[in-house]
Amino acid sequence: MPEYEAVIGLETHIQLNTKSKIFCACSTDSWRAPPNTHICPICTGLPGVLPSLNRRVVEKALIMAAAMNVGEIAPESYLARKNYFYPDLPKGYQISQYDEPLAGNGSFEFPMPDGNLRRISIIKLHIEEDAGKTVYKNSKRLIDFNRCGVPLVEMVTGPDFRSAEEVGQFLIRLRQLLRWLEISDADMERGQLRCDANVSIRERGQQRLNTKTEIKNVNSIANVRDAVQSEIQRQVREVEAGRKIESWTLGWDDDRGALSKMRSKETEADYRYFREPDLLPIQTSSEDWAATVSQLPELPLARRSRFSADYGIPDYDAGVLTEERSLSEFFEAAVAAHGGDPKRVSNWVMNDVLRLIREQDTSAGELGLRPDELAEIIRLVERGTISNSVGKELLTQVQGSDRTPSQIVEEDGLAQVTDFGELSAAAAQILEANPDQVAAYRGGKSGLIGWFVGQMMQESGGQADPKSARKILEQLLEG
Amino acid sequence: MRTEICELSAHEIVARLKAGDLTAESVLDATLARIEAVEGGTGTLEKAPNGQNGVHAYITLAEERALAQARAVDRALEAGDDPGPLAGVPVAIKDIFCVSGTRSTAGSKILENFVAPYTATSVARLEAAGALTIGKANLDEFTYGSSNESSAFLPTPRNPWSASVVPGGSSGGSAAAVAAGEAALSLGTDTSGSIRQPAAFCGVVGLKPTYGRVSRYGLIAFASSLDCPGPLARNVRDVALMLQVMAGADPFDATAAKVPVTDYLDGIEGGVQGMRIGLSPDFSRLSYPDAGTGELRELTLQSEIERALMDAAERLAGQGAEIVEGVELPNARYGIPAYFVISRVEAASNLHRYDGVKYGYRHAGEAADLIELYRKSRGHGFGPQPKLRILMGMYVSGDQYEKRYYERALRVRTLVRQDFERAFERVDAVLAPTTPTTAFEFGRIYGDSVAMQYADYLTVPANHAGIPALSVPVGLDNSGLPIGMQLMGPDFSERKLLRIGRALELAVEWQESRPPLVRELVDA
Repeated sequence: MPEYEAVIGLETHIQLNTKSKIFCACSTDSWRAPPNTHICPICTGLPGVLPSLNRRVVEKALIMAAAMNVGEIAPESYLARKNYFYPDLPKGYQISQYDEPLAGNGSFEFPMPDGNLRRISIIKLHIEEDAGKTVYKNSKRLIDFNRCGVPLVEMVTGPDFRSAEEVGQFLIRLRQLLRWLEISDADMERGQLRCDANVSIRERGQQRLNTKTEIKNVNSIANVRDAVQSEIQRQVREVEAGRKIESWTLGWDDDRGALSKMRSKETEADYRYFREPDLLPIQTSSEDWAATVSQLPELPLARRSRFSADYGIPDYDAGVLTEERSLSEFFEAAVAAHGGDPKRVSNWVMNDVLRLIREQDTSAGELGLRPDELAEIIRLVERGTISNSVGKELLTQVQGSDRTPSQIVEEDGLAQVTDFGELSAAAAQILEANPDQVAAYRGGKSGLIGWFVGQMMQESGGQADPKSARKILEQLLEG
Repeated sequence: MRTEICELSAHEIVARLKAGDLTAESVLDATLARIEAVEGGTGTLEKAPNGQNGVHAYITLAEERALAQARAVDRALEAGDDPGPLAGVPVAIKDIFCVSGTRSTAGSKILENFVAPYTATSVARLEAAGALTIGKANLDEFTYGSSNESSAFLPTPRNPWSASVVPGGSSGGSAAAVAAGEAALSLGTDTSGSIRQPAAFCGVVGLKPTYGRVSRYGLIAFASSLDCPGPLARNVRDVALMLQVMAGADPFDATAAKVPVTDYLDGIEGGVQGMRIGLSPDFSRLSYPDAGTGELRELTLQSEIERALMDAAERLAGQGAEIVEGVELPNARYGIPAYFVISRVEAASNLHRYDGVKYGYRHAGEAADLIELYRKSRGHGFGPQPKLRILMGMYVSGDQYEKRYYERALRVRTLVRQDFERAFERVDAVLAPTTPTTAFEFGRIYGDSVAMQYADYLTVPANHAGIPALSVPVGLDNSGLPIGMQLMGPDFSERKLLRIGRALELAVEWQESRPPLVRELVDA
């Protein structure tokens, strides 16, 4: 059996997180809203209406293009009508882009789990409006126009993927990037990130592209990966059995976890594209583009490398800390405020801060705990002012409080007791109250020292510094 | 002949209202009385006898809306408030504009009962200026025609100058209403001549403004890159007054120009002294395809029109204008073929939304599936003109033909535009006939799509170029039918065109006389 390789290209649709729709003032946020409550004459295409382009859509799409390493942007790009009939497409055409899209010739680099980087070419990136939704109910076809006119970016990759795993990693990193750039919420379940995959196979070493199939309507990254994987395997079986691959469109059945054939594609549909006469060309000056590129934040991959290099933290830490932008910013600000060993800050962020974020289902940016407050807590622990466990409790006490960690420690009496006299008095009392244990210790059961320390901690309500307590107890017991 | 109130110009109405000589309600009453006398029944989808006597300018009358507006104007006057620059002026709105709460049919069965939930920008501006929206005027179905014979609403409008000839189209109801005193003003649309040609046929003034000067929001689209809303009136000053109210940028229309609006009445009486006015041989010798062979044949203008052109030029020269002959506009001859392609591609796409699913006509019978529902609703809802445009538009925009037809047509359009740019380096405006012939008889051309399209031969170049063009009546032919001349100028030269048009109007001694059919009906 010859060795096969898969050739996969993706067409992704990304919902931009603008407040209003692409051509009218309706709100884009209609998740769980009753049908047809976020609509107006414009997005439902009533006779006589005209679209007006929401400039924020272009701005966000340009940010996306810059992040995809697009070198140059055409000074003018055009919107076009894609004509087809469907009940949830109220104008009978979708306003999209065709021969002169917003951007092309980009690339996206992302890490694979083995640490290697993969680079995928981006053929084109354009803006368009979403269509509505058709729901089948009691043998009726119901139409919800809420999504009509929601802004999308369509991004097409080259046929550069060689495995389902690469596709999965690409989508994970694309989702991360979209949220990082704050241009899309990229929630696949809500249709904010959609992915169609074109899959073909060939014998390894060949260059030509064989007949492909198209996988549509998959609603999670794991399912895209599974769907692509099972389609590669199906194609290998077909070819091995001497059958030809036909140009099918396949849908993913979530319940069965399997692909099913939606239709055969004998001929390409003719959408009769032509330039949208109701809208002016989209103009992007070289100044606007330069500003977009220069204002692009440091991207996750670059930040990850820099964290490893600059802070001397393990690559694993750098990866976790750059999963999400506000977390990476939180870490960096905490390191600066702390001024000491970044690894110590990394430990606190990765263990304790991340736990809080997950428990409270929030983000580092909205946690209510400032990086400088974390740094102060770490310093209090390092200096021995408070115990490690008090430090961890302080994290939640500081959240939403207008007191600083030091104020809380002082005002609530949380500091460790290190005062020699105070501790000695307490130790003497414990020895006096427990003559049996004292005798046993002095008789050679030196392991009992832990029990005495425990008593001290209990008496002090956890505030005694365990190291000092132990030293004093040993002196008293042996003296 | 005593001028009746319904025959007053918009200017006079506003002036007399402000002077306290008239009330808006009395203007409305007089106009409704004129409608009662001459209209002879508005258009309906019922099989009405087409020979019914009357002008039949309207599809829908909006008496209640107009009455409420008239009373608001009168209240404002009484209170000493400014009632607006068009206070009390009855306006007929071509039924291609959406007006909230009124039917907007586009002259088509497919929108027979469509009531828009919003009002077109141009109409909203007229109403805000105090105009009375008296009704929705008949038109060719979806504006597809040059005779108004294709409306689904019958009887179709008559030409007030002769019941046997068409009023022109597609703004035929608009032009007829204004000519017959059924409105002082009308809002029309011009995609290839649909304001100017009916204005010329009915002896009224019509302006196609620069593309983008008046917002298209609320205008049910034909060919989006060419459609221009514009005024029809009985004199040039009224056209200027109406344009003033409607012109300007609109956040709801991205193609509405942000160029500042000038005062169109300022200097309108300034005359043509020192102006350079061009005549083009390309607007006198016309290339028509032979119906049999398809070969191009050269035709000349109707002789009275040719004479009227020379007469108009001489009279303007007599007023001090310099007439520049031989201004070449060689690509004008390709205007119709290019328009045939571009307008139909856009029209077919614009018609996609009428599918019987959301609003308008839906075929009542059973449909096996969605495709059949589409097919039946569109099959029964559209008349022959939309169907022809869909067929042609789908054909020339198909993958395999797009380059041969659509892209070539777009290049022609650029060439036509360049012709005019060169011409306007030499002249302030080009003077040309609006139409090759005066109004033709009912049924003579209708049915021959190509011949009907060629009725727009002289008007379509301005649409391709996007430039403004003003048609002014200059006299009558031997049969007593009006002749119109148009003035074409550079982008946003409306002010200058109106000034030249006003001079022409005065120079040719055009009388706003009562057209014969109206006289007959009023006397009866």
